Amino acid sequence: MDRMTIPIGPQHPLLKEPMSFNVTVEGERVLEATMRLGYVHRGIEKLAERRTYIQVVHLVERICGICSHVHTTTFCDAVESLLGLEVPRRAQYIRALLCELERVHSHLLWLGVLAKNVGFDTVFMYSWRDREIVLDIMEGLSGGRVSHAVNMIGGVRIDLDDEHVRGILERFDTLERQVDRALVLVEHERTLRARTQGVGVLTPEDVRRYCVVGPTARASGVDVDMRRDAPRPPYDELDVNVILHDAGDVWARTLVRTQETRESLRLCRNLLANLPEGPTAARARRRVPAGEAVARSEAPRGEVFYYVRSDGSDTPARLKVRTPTLPTLATLPGQLDGVAFADVPVVLAGVDLCIACADR
Amino acid sequence: MMIVSETLSALFSVLVFPGLAFCVICALAFEWLDRVIIARLQGRVGPPWYQPVADLIKLLAKEDILPTGASHTVGAVLPLLSLASVLTAALYVPVAGHVVSSFEGDLIVVLFLLSLPALAYFMAGWVSVGVYSVVGGSRSLLQYFSYEVPFLMALATPAILADSWRISAIVARQPTWGVFTMPLGFLLAVVGLIGKLKRDPFDIPKAASEVVAGPLTEYSGRKLALWHLTVDVQTVVGIMLLVNLFLGGDTSTFVPVAGWAAPLLFAAKALGILAALALASVLYARLRIDQLAQLGWRVLAPLALAQILVALWMVG
Amino acid sequence: MDRDAVVQALREALGDAVGEPRALPVDDLFVPLELSALREAVQLFQNELDIWHLSTITGLDDGEQIVLHYHFWHGSGLTLSVSLPYDQAEAPTLTDLIAGAGFYEREVAEMLGVAFAGLGEMAPLLLPDDWDEGPPLRHDADAEGGA
Repeated sequence: MDRMTIPIGPQHPLLKEPMSFNVTVEGERVLEATMRLGYVHRGIEKLAERRTYIQVVHLVERICGICSHVHTTTFCDAVESLLGLEVPRRAQYIRALLCELERVHSHLLWLGVLAKNVGFDTVFMYSWRDREIVLDIMEGLSGGRVSHAVNMIGGVRIDLDDEHVRGILERFDTLERQVDRALVLVEHERTLRARTQGVGVLTPEDVRRYCVVGPTARASGVDVDMRRDAPRPPYDELDVNVILHDAGDVWARTLVRTQETRESLRLCRNLLANLPEGPTAARARRRVPAGEAVARSEAPRGEVFYYVRSDGSDTPARLKVRTPTLPTLATLPGQLDGVAFADVPVVLAGVDLCIACADR
Repeated sequence: MMIVSETLSALFSVLVFPGLAFCVICALAFEWLDRVIIARLQGRVGPPWYQPVADLIKLLAKEDILPTGASHTVGAVLPLLSLASVLTAALYVPVAGHVVSSFEGDLIVVLFLLSLPALAYFMAGWVSVGVYSVVGGSRSLLQYFSYEVPFLMALATPAILADSWRISAIVARQPTWGVFTMPLGFLLAVVGLIGKLKRDPFDIPKAASEVVAGPLTEYSGRKLALWHLTVDVQTVVGIMLLVNLFLGGDTSTFVPVAGWAAPLLFAAKALGILAALALASVLYARLRIDQLAQLGWRVLAPLALAQILVALWMVG
Repeated sequence: MDRDAVVQALREALGDAVGEPRALPVDDLFVPLELSALREAVQLFQNELDIWHLSTITGLDDGEQIVLHYHFWHGSGLTLSVSLPYDQAEAPTLTDLIAGAGFYEREVAEMLGVAFAGLGEMAPLLLPDDWDEGPPLRHDADAEGGA
């Protein structure tokens, strides 16, 4: 059969964001795949050099739609440590609550996308319907479904009262039931397993060579989780179960993410039950003393890295962001080599791409 | 006088019931029911009753373009050919006992006519030149070879049991519904129908996440409207064929049914099969083409063969 | 292995090429290094210290030179900093040691105009194919698209 180069992207029903793959196939076998990024590059790092720190909080929230809160949290973490500012405990708990809620919403979204890519529309419909519960909770907290603008330098701008907390806990009951059902489905449903087992395998050596992070790494048995490894408060008071699997294929990643969703709901309950009293923000100076800081957090896709360099003014001298999708993208040409063409959407979905994050 | 009334009655049969008009209306109605059942099973609401009609009208109003290098003539003939063949097949499939024309061997003609769209579908992909179309087209051929053989074998079983290749005769000679005497054949026929109609989980040739829309990616406007109508009519004809061959048409085995209720019984059976198809769409992920080929040749074909052997043994 | 021990191991292997480390928030240690010792340091990390995770490579223009920070993670942050003069912004590639360094090096190359010797593919990673305005993150780059 002839060789054919099939373009996937920049516009394709499979991709939620523009990026370009050129997949050379022979019959149904992929021979090679080349990638081009940069379609959503907005120059965030350069823009940050011309904005005040307060404006940069607003800017980095827009790097990604799904993990917006963890970006601002990490940035604020870096700047607050340069300022030597102690963030009130209540604010730290609220930040972590939103981080975990974001993880739940991201993983449910991802489950739907994976299901859509394997032609399992039913699971897509159900998981996105369950995701609405999380989005409603987040909207109740911050006023926005995916973009929260909750973080300020020094703390958070929202607060919750007991009634609010009760409402959230009630909705968790429904959500946990649904996630448990999803877990049973992922573990046992045969057609889903037939499409995802043995596909897109990454060995632990691949993970280390490419410095892959997040659920993709954990599904290959590599034990990394910034919530436990670099515990910023309040994670130093929580006991995070790190979910590992050793198959390294898309099915393992599905299991890891679904179980992590369950774990995140448990952490949310913990956070809500132990919410400390106190203020929700400390006052921050506009000018940040000269220095450099590095902050790391666990975004839904893995380790997000922020480096901030300040020169004593009220604008950063350099902002460097490294999002978790970037190292995973580097493994894609290798993962796609030799797979069936029908497995290309499965592989792409399996690594949970967030191109906006990768391109910045 | 006789000739005039015979001609009128023949025209009515062909053009209205159970012919053209009935087929098209039924096709659109079944498409709506299918979409609503699937939607409800997925926790959604589903479209309003006029949605299939609205979609058709919308498509007819759209610009009809094809890429450079694609053949407009062939591209226009193929959907017409497909629609014509399924509508012709409808002539020989009894609807609650009424059939436009019937003769010994009409089952074979129907099966042949129902296979033409698959070939036309592949050609449509080939002729429209786009990469996604060609890949989708080659997959559709591969899929065709995986389901068609078990499907044909399963549909031969009622003919063997009734000792006739005429659909009306098969209906009349079923003492009990075929689904009870040859359940395996029924199951294989339903699975084969899913493959034929390219429904989930066998919608591989037009898997949106891989080949955008498969062979029909580049089609729009009138041509696409005709393709959609073809699929809808093929669904109806396929379902009614199965009702006749395996569910006893409009006859009833257990409880005697009054003459006026027979068409309702037929409709109920047809809707039952539609519901089963919708359920199958909802319950599974899409298979990969090689998994389907494995399924077809390692599971379905041997089972179909076994069913034929059992049927041959049953007639002695 | 704790950070002091790592610095000790570096000093033993590389001597004067290792500068005075400084602890930085949140939980990092920046170790200045001579460019010539970079590859050896990374090999030491991999072969003897089991430090394999490179978070990223930050390139920046501090007004006097180009600085490259190689951010490693080993239970806590560990960063190797090398400085490059403007007129000789070249560094050796690490991609044969750490495959994941490829994207980071390419980004530094296109954003700051650093040439990585031995890095095969130099196609733009994030910038458009027709970008002709020079490395955007250098201080002398055109100040377009203001606040």
